Amino acid sequence: MRLIGFSTGALARNDFRRALRMLTERRVRAVELSALRQEELIPLVEQLDSLDLRGFEYKAFHAPSLMEPEFEAVAIGVLEQVALREWPIIVHPDAMHRPSEWARFGELLCIENMDKRKPIGQTVADLADIFGSLPRALLCFDIGHARQVDPTMSEAAAILQRYSARLRQLHVSEVNSQSKHDPLSFESVLAFRRVAHLVPENIPVILESRVEEDGIYDEIENACKALSVEDVLALTGD
Amino acid sequence: MLQLGTMTGAERTIASVSELLQLAPLPTARDAASKTREELDELLSAGIRKYTSEDTSLVVFGSLARGEWTSGSDLDWTYLIDGQANSDHLLIAQKIQKLLKDHKEKFRPPGQTGTFGSMAFSHDIIHQIGGQNDTNRNTTQRILLLLESAPIGRSNQAHERIIRGVISRYLEEDTHLLTADSRQYRIPRFLLNDIVRFWRTMAVDFASKQRDRAGEGWGLRNAKLRMSRKLIFVSGLLVCFGCNLDTSLQKKISTGEGDIKLNLVNHIREQVRLTPLEILADAVERYRISNTVAQELFGAYAEFLRVLVDKKSREALENLRASDSRTDPTFQHVTDISKAFEHALDHIFFENSQLAPLTRKYGVF
Repeated sequence: MRLIGFSTGALARNDFRRALRMLTERRVRAVELSALRQEELIPLVEQLDSLDLRGFEYKAFHAPSLMEPEFEAVAIGVLEQVALREWPIIVHPDAMHRPSEWARFGELLCIENMDKRKPIGQTVADLADIFGSLPRALLCFDIGHARQVDPTMSEAAAILQRYSARLRQLHVSEVNSQSKHDPLSFESVLAFRRVAHLVPENIPVILESRVEEDGIYDEIENACKALSVEDVLALTGD
Repeated sequence: MLQLGTMTGAERTIASVSELLQLAPLPTARDAASKTREELDELLSAGIRKYTSEDTSLVVFGSLARGEWTSGSDLDWTYLIDGQANSDHLLIAQKIQKLLKDHKEKFRPPGQTGTFGSMAFSHDIIHQIGGQNDTNRNTTQRILLLLESAPIGRSNQAHERIIRGVISRYLEEDTHLLTADSRQYRIPRFLLNDIVRFWRTMAVDFASKQRDRAGEGWGLRNAKLRMSRKLIFVSGLLVCFGCNLDTSLQKKISTGEGDIKLNLVNHIREQVRLTPLEILADAVERYRISNTVAQELFGAYAEFLRVLVDKKSREALENLRASDSRTDPTFQHVTDISKAFEHALDHIFFENSQLAPLTRKYGVF
């Protein structure tokens, strides 16, 4: 059984306490604390000690997806406190202005592959350049981004095969043409099943689908189907 | 004049136009359509969770979209695609087919032409208007998308984008959207001509199907041509004429409110959001059609639906061949109904002071 949880930002934007409550009440065992906007970073980190995260087996932290160059040093300093907890820190490649500064996080640093909007980080070749300058960093594979870039999932398969040793975590959602994270459609489920066998069972899955509170279980169940190798075989035999 | 069960004569006063839409069995058919669309969504959601996406919509046509669902209605559907090419779309369309086949008692499969019951792509629908590649199927999908379609479930983005794309495409081909004095919108001729062409295509196809199917199903097809298919054409004409006659739309020209073309796209979009019967009811009010004519019009249509609701009558029509049409009592009843319907339409389109000049100018030559 895969470890599947949610990003706090997907469930309750700007209100991580509410998102944590939703997940705790439903005994979800994985969470990614999200500070996608620059201004959210410091308040979230300052409150980490006061959060009850005992119910979560897996915890990750999403750094801001965009940062002003002058804020980068501040962000890195603040994220040191996250690193002390040994949580993976998810970073978008284009958010780093001086990648070498981020190298200090070593294997806790997880580079996320990007969607169509972003100038870098979409393909195997793009990621090769990034990992070249951050050799210890791991990969947070966003399967929705990969599908948006290449719906045939060829690039997704190539990334998963090339960086299997770096794979630390999965982001799952349906990424629409405006690059927003939607709940999984059957189309996404079919696409994700094509590469599900390349994602080991022990890789934690974080859902970024924007769902209402009563849709949490359904989305988790749908993600399980999308990443189920058995369903892939069943589909082939349909 | 035909005496219909629900009609109490020309003296009856209709309190409001909405009362026309309350003539039995119109509300029942409307409620049945609404409930059936919900049931269809439930069935598909249970079998294929989130079966549509930002790029795809499941769209129904015919009586289910018009709000005229009866127990004998076919389910005409299309898996409508407006997005990146994806080989999984066929797989999803096939899954939908299979699910519906498993419930064919409730959802009778579409007809034999192959127009419905599979995928359709936005590019053909929007780009291939006229010319060699505008097939009968493509024309039918396009006009029915405009005049009688409804998305199933909550995801309707693809359906909405394609409809707006089609309307916009029609208007792009009209050299001038406004009259020479810039005081009124002109009739959108490209759209009008395509609607007229579609009506004539349906009529020609009626004869073609009679030959292809050796006369099988003649009675029901004939009845539909006289009534429901004609209603689609009428609603299309009214939408086109309304572009020139709608006062609130014309007012936007003088006040400079919004973009000229966009205002017209929005106006047409809002009009075709209504069902054909609602468009007709709106026209009754807008063009001050007399109660007598309005009652004859809606009474005839309600009576037509009553014939379809009645299992015995529907079966009689389904089994009727052309050679028996002059002696068959059910078909004679349908003939009377359709004559009343046409009589009322003649009055509206040839005698109403606002519509008659447009019918004369654009209707034939």
